[in-house]
Amino acid sequence: MSTRSRLQGLCLRHVSSTRRNGAASHQQRRLLSQFISKAPPQADTPYTQTPFTLAVKDNIATTTQPLPTTTCASPFLTTYHSPFEATIVTQLRARGARLVGKTNLDEFGMGSHSTHSAFGAVSQTLPPGGGGEYSAGGSSGGSAVAVAAGEANVALGTDTGGSVRLPAAYTGVVGFKPSYGMLSRHGVVPYANSLDTVGLLARGVEEIRGLVVGGAGLWREHDPRDPTSLSEAARGRCVGAREGYGGGVDGRKPEEVLRGVNFGIPLEYNVEELDPRIRDAWAAAAAALQKLGARIVPVSLPTTRHALSAYYIIAPAEASSNLAKYDGVRYGSRASDTDAGSSDGGVLYAASRGRGFGGEVQRRILLGAYTLSSEAMDNYFIKAQKVRRLVRRDFDRAFALANPLLDEPEPFDLSDLLEDVPMENKLGPAGVDFLLCPTAPTLAPKLEDVVGAEGQSPVDAYVNDVFTVPASLAGLPAVSIPMRVAAEGGDENAPNTAGLQLIGQYWDDARLLAAAEAVMEVLGGSSR
Amino acid sequence: MARIPTVDLTSYLLGGQLSRHGCLRVGRASFPSRAAIGQTRRFSSPIQGSPSTPTSNPPVPLRKQLKDQARALKTSGYKKKKKTDNQTVPGWELTVGIEIHAQLNTARKLFSPAGTSFDDKPNSHVALFDLAIPGSQPIFQPETLIPAVRAALALECDIQRVSRFDRKHYFHWDQPAGYQITQFYEPFAKDGRIKLYARDGIATEDGEQVTVGIKQVQMEQDTAKTMAMAGESHRIDFNRVGVPLIEIITLPEIHHPATAAAFVRKVQLLLSSVDACTSGLEEGGLRADVNVSVRRTDDPSGTLGTRTEIKNLSSFKAVEDAVIAERDRQIAVLEAGGVVQGETRGWSVGSIETRRLRGKEGEVDYRYMPDPDLGPVVIGEQLIEHLAKSMGTLPDGEVDLLMSTFGLTAKDALALKSQDEGVRVEYFYNVVLRFEGHFQHTDVPAELRHKRYLLAANWCLHELGKLVKASNELGWTEDGECVIPSASLAEILYHLYEKKITAKVAKEILWMLFRQEVPGGDVGAVINTMGLWFRELSKVEYTELADQVAEGEDKVLSEFLRFKEGKSKVYPHGKLMFLVGKMMRAGPEERMDPESAERVMRTRIDEVHIPSLQSKV
Repeated sequence: MSTRSRLQGLCLRHVSSTRRNGAASHQQRRLLSQFISKAPPQADTPYTQTPFTLAVKDNIATTTQPLPTTTCASPFLTTYHSPFEATIVTQLRARGARLVGKTNLDEFGMGSHSTHSAFGAVSQTLPPGGGGEYSAGGSSGGSAVAVAAGEANVALGTDTGGSVRLPAAYTGVVGFKPSYGMLSRHGVVPYANSLDTVGLLARGVEEIRGLVVGGAGLWREHDPRDPTSLSEAARGRCVGAREGYGGGVDGRKPEEVLRGVNFGIPLEYNVEELDPRIRDAWAAAAAALQKLGARIVPVSLPTTRHALSAYYIIAPAEASSNLAKYDGVRYGSRASDTDAGSSDGGVLYAASRGRGFGGEVQRRILLGAYTLSSEAMDNYFIKAQKVRRLVRRDFDRAFALANPLLDEPEPFDLSDLLEDVPMENKLGPAGVDFLLCPTAPTLAPKLEDVVGAEGQSPVDAYVNDVFTVPASLAGLPAVSIPMRVAAEGGDENAPNTAGLQLIGQYWDDARLLAAAEAVMEVLGGSSR
Repeated sequence: MARIPTVDLTSYLLGGQLSRHGCLRVGRASFPSRAAIGQTRRFSSPIQGSPSTPTSNPPVPLRKQLKDQARALKTSGYKKKKKTDNQTVPGWELTVGIEIHAQLNTARKLFSPAGTSFDDKPNSHVALFDLAIPGSQPIFQPETLIPAVRAALALECDIQRVSRFDRKHYFHWDQPAGYQITQFYEPFAKDGRIKLYARDGIATEDGEQVTVGIKQVQMEQDTAKTMAMAGESHRIDFNRVGVPLIEIITLPEIHHPATAAAFVRKVQLLLSSVDACTSGLEEGGLRADVNVSVRRTDDPSGTLGTRTEIKNLSSFKAVEDAVIAERDRQIAVLEAGGVVQGETRGWSVGSIETRRLRGKEGEVDYRYMPDPDLGPVVIGEQLIEHLAKSMGTLPDGEVDLLMSTFGLTAKDALALKSQDEGVRVEYFYNVVLRFEGHFQHTDVPAELRHKRYLLAANWCLHELGKLVKASNELGWTEDGECVIPSASLAEILYHLYEKKITAKVAKEILWMLFRQEVPGGDVGAVINTMGLWFRELSKVEYTELADQVAEGEDKVLSEFLRFKEGKSKVYPHGKLMFLVGKMMRAGPEERMDPESAERVMRTRIDEVHIPSLQSKV
């Protein structure tokens, strides 16, 4: 099928399957090991004092009893007590959050199914009362499951390449990754600093919107302890070029919010691996928005096909550096095997690190150590950084709004674009407000298919991040909302929810969340 | 209460520098010089490279160490060559590049607000980031730029508007993050140079002056301090981790060992004169690594030979000696038909050859990566201009000034400027100012003024130097004072210059000042009460003494007659001084001035004794 006909299929397919029966299919499921540590339930707490319950991914530092540990799901840190609390936790507690537990994850945030954990795999059982164990997505799987199960109103995750959005898509909740530099990372144990963001998960968009860009105003707060937290001045400059901060959209109907908004459909995201049911639902969503007065525009992001490779070079490189501190001297138990005599001093650490890290973490450390080595640096790390710039440039030319971090827009060659993209004028195609695409190419896989020797290869798992990684590389805000898909061959027991992702221009988080809220309402609210 | 073993206590006393053998030599109680203790700090472990063996042996007393070294040298049949002989080897060209690490003089660490005090309780100045606590992040401390930029300006570098920080990875217990943050790809200063003059002690082969290019200067973090304990245990003091350093990297443009040492000495002088650095090489605030290679002078390819790196040289002499030893080793290897291996080598004070630490195969791949938490450092023109303006005169300018305006010799000028981190020359200025204040007429010929300055310089350098073994025992202060108040020394000099006291008395009073036996430093009062004023003999008394001494010295006197009669062309000055010496011994020395005695003796010889001799003939 040519790209053009695929596009037509996407945009013009008649919408019939969008049912507004989400509440009916919202089912209670058996949930496994989503918490690493959990606070005892507090009865009789007046609502006014605890406006919301909060679950915190266990790679974000907490100090409050009875949740003193911050394990990162790593054998190295099973007993680690952080001497300080993460800024984001302090900020949310000041806004009425009550911590209910620390949630399970892939060790140090590295994984796509929350299975690489020292505390066992996270999973969700679909449908309830039997059926199968399914992946909860990763690496913030525990947080997603806690929200899906109603055990927390809001959960904190971290999103480096999709670690909040992917679990949100698999478990049918909302997952938001803010613009890089908006929320403080102080107290977040880094996986890949240049990509890491604190993300939020909730059943609906509204809770997240209120906290981040609404009256609660996390967007305002610069943290002097995080050098990558945007300064007050830069925040002022960014907000000056944006709309919607501090509320103001509450109470508007979806059609009011969506009328005249340009949604871009990135043609390069229509990959072969995309589950046809997701492709159908994507097209249906686009059509529904068009019906409400939104404009659907095909866009081209030519560097997308290199983004995943670039991500899996940059992130492991930074990870290999960040994890150098876990050497058994200060953290974890020191391996006492004294085969140390066989070589020089390095072996002391080697044995401890061999034992203290899980397989996936070791794989990424090795990958990162290689791509940073003097012989491979130029061919991998440097090239990946160049790809990263191109990815950002792709986004910048797709969006109508300029990137406030650049002094002037970078020039680009129109011939790079796919020929399917219509030109708005001689300067190029129409600029869009948001990009609309799936969050992941597949539905939640069965747990047995992703763990153990028979499970997916690491590369299979990495492919799940193909739609989420580009926004991470460019530092853009992105949100995943639930999207119902047709049942597979009428099998009512199989998962029936995918994620629909909206990506906005840098610091356009306020409008993005408002639009996501409207789109979610159009699609029928939470689908479960 | 449990008794703490002395072994453990030593690590907390005097920065772990307390020797457990023998006694501490306690200086004068009035100034136990806190600074001196701080300055004896050493880099106990290398900042880069794979783990080196820390010194786990108990400290050996210096005297014994020197004795052992001397004995070892003797038994090895090594003969000390003269310095001037060993600067070149015919047929071979030596090439040396130098890397110097210097601790910046700042109040805070490079990436945390923790303080940089060194004498305090171990592990008392440590922020979360210094220990690489998970989730903590580096916060660049802009004030560290001030000494760094000053240093770069003193080294005549191009200050880069934008520079960045990179991570250099290697495992060592003294580095909690598993990497050191440094500036590898984009250092903050590049393309500098240092001019070395003959007076700086360069090899005579380099002529009057030579310029050494600086490739780059970068900012980076120091590591923690390791203290070796008895047995196999080590203690780590994280007060030092993250303290800002600069690394200065030269081009391979040095070709003589003495010039290499002169370069390091000059860097130290420059850094201390712009107040960029905490202390010098010998005190541990500076550390030098040298890269050495040799090639045949007739090699047409012109490429440099394979180089080796000698790490952690802790004195100027060590720099020169290590370069000579390594050059000779490489030449010996090549002349025997061998190949020089690119490797890292070490040097111990007093040894005659470098030793292999690790080869290329043991090299760490540092996997340099831009630090993803740290933004670029942008240095504004205004900052550079302001620092350049407020930096004051650089040492070469000041040495020139001392020579031209004060008429000092190059040697004295350099000695004044380079001692005590620039405080000694301030002291000299203070003394001169007060010395001049005693004279009513300031409008005197340059020649006379230079005579006074020379006297002042002589006392500020040499007479003061005789009081103590180590200069820092004089208790120098920032404003150019020491245990001998400049006003007191100026008064001594005035009385001496005006011949109101003798040199002997002057020196005696200096000692009294040093022993703090002069109430209020009032030199005049002490001279009064002790009756030390110079009551010179009258002319009559001198004359009597001269005649008395000349009695019976006809043989000596006849030399003067021969000169007068033109039989000898040279005036017998030695004979005159012999007679003056005899005169000084015969008379009351404390009342005599050698110059007066000489003058009288000369007159008497001319007017009385020669005619008397002639009449005898």
